[in-house]
Amino acid sequence: MTAQPRTTEGQPTRPLPVPDAVSSGYWEAAAGGVLTVARCGRCRAHAIPPGQVCPSCGSTDPGYGFEPVSGRGLVRSWTVVRQAFLPGFSADVPFVLVDVELAEQPELRMIGRLLDGPAAPGLRLGAQVTAAFEDVAAGVAVPAFQLADASGRPGEAS
Amino acid sequence: MSRRFAARGQVAIVGYAHSDVWRHAPRPLGALAVDTAREAIADAGLKPDDVDGFVTAPLFPTAGAHAVEDGVSTVTAQWLAEHLGVTPAYTSGFSGIGQLPGALGLAVGALSSGAADYVLLHRALHNPPGRYHGNPLREAAGSAQWTAPQGFFGPLPMIALPYNEYLQRYGASQEAMAAVVTEARKNGARIPWSYWRDKPLGAEEYLAAPMISDPIRRFDCDLPVDGVAAFVLTSAERARDLPHRPVHIAGIATAAPPRRRLPLHWPLDDIMAAGTGLAGRLWEAAGIGPGEVDLPQLYDGFSPFVYFWLEALGLCPVGEAHRFVQDGRIDSDRPDGLPVLSGGGAIGNGRMHGVPQMLECYLQLSGRAGPRQRERATVGVACQSSPHFGGAVVYTTEPA
Ligand SMILES: [Zn+2]
Repeated sequence: MTAQPRTTEGQPTRPLPVPDAVSSGYWEAAAGGVLTVARCGRCRAHAIPPGQVCPSCGSTDPGYGFEPVSGRGLVRSWTVVRQAFLPGFSADVPFVLVDVELAEQPELRMIGRLLDGPAAPGLRLGAQVTAAFEDVAAGVAVPAFQLADASGRPGEAS
Repeated sequence: MSRRFAARGQVAIVGYAHSDVWRHAPRPLGALAVDTAREAIADAGLKPDDVDGFVTAPLFPTAGAHAVEDGVSTVTAQWLAEHLGVTPAYTSGFSGIGQLPGALGLAVGALSSGAADYVLLHRALHNPPGRYHGNPLREAAGSAQWTAPQGFFGPLPMIALPYNEYLQRYGASQEAMAAVVTEARKNGARIPWSYWRDKPLGAEEYLAAPMISDPIRRFDCDLPVDGVAAFVLTSAERARDLPHRPVHIAGIATAAPPRRRLPLHWPLDDIMAAGTGLAGRLWEAAGIGPGEVDLPQLYDGFSPFVYFWLEALGLCPVGEAHRFVQDGRIDSDRPDGLPVLSGGGAIGNGRMHGVPQMLECYLQLSGRAGPRQRERATVGVACQSSPHFGGAVVYTTEPA
């Protein structure tokens, strides 16, 4: 699922990611609708976010590469954001942020918007989600999530 | 290796002052800091020239894009010493995790090493014009690229996520938190300098206030303010010659780094794992256990921190804080209550960032709490920030 940006005339745009030498692969993949996670070239552990030193093996030269993941995960927590502290979100509030533990590795957690919205039935601890994307500008997509059924298919959450 | 605090009981607080607390002070923060420092030094029975050490934690805790200007939005130790017109032997600012406990550690180090004989420790907090956490960020570079593009920003979702995780995991009700917030506001209403003086809050009003980031409501958050507090510290030996009953520092612990996460991503398990570690080191340093603490002053910059500290410090079982706080068990007016917010905390005073907790330990243990004085107050703990991103100090009436 891809959500179109809700642009309102005269409204500022949301903060756009600035890809860098480490993260460019992540944003390129996201633009193509693929969720990736940094993986250490030494020990193969995933890391969110990728830092200077691999938290799993301690390498100071982890040579991170962004590799596709299933996009599946479990909701560990959520909040409904009702005040926008950043530009470009005024038209979006209230919106849901979910803390998701990805299927690939224990405690591999990221935070994204839940595109089902604040009133989504089935939003609970342990609910299955799958990756989704928001197109926020030409060629820029931000990873998000949507509720899924047990097999990871979107839109059939109970 | 023993983790016993080698300076245990060697350093004492001997005086204090607190400015009034405003939404926006009528005078610059630096001028308030100078007045408050002079008042604290006089309170300790000293003169400005006696003070040869200055420490603070200069953090301006905003997620907004406000300028940081010394004397205006923060007051460093150097700025204060210069404007008091004294020539200190030692000045330092703590920039790590757990601002007041960290700054106190610098003061203890300076005094026990002999780098200074009398240290002024101050904290100056500022509320800038405009929205406190509002930020005109348009490009999310560096670590912000992993959070800001999806709208994860600032301290409200930061605390809302672990709080909701707590509510869901333990089946706690949102209504339970009213006991914490109303206790803070009840006590803050009695503090002469509090922003919330004479303004207690009822549970209905707490629950009727709007959600900001579910399940965080308006009054779960402390209010950004202008205000300054200052404390004078010296050796236990010198303290005997000063007018007020000294309050001794028995131990300090700050949080060890938790698992690496996205900026401001604070899962409940991270908070409790690092918080439990901090508590273990704190009790070992002080040679005191949670059962001996009669004045635990828990940090409440956001109300859920009270649950987290109660459980991390071992004052109640994990998962039970939401029940523990009910039925008057944290009511400071009850002789059998555990007074975790008797100083009003941040929710009852304004965003003084750990000052209310430290000050209440000083006032109660020195017998200077006035009408709020408790019959028995011998061991206090002052907490700051989150158990995994802060620190705590044990205070005692006796030096050892
Ligand atoms: Zn590695």
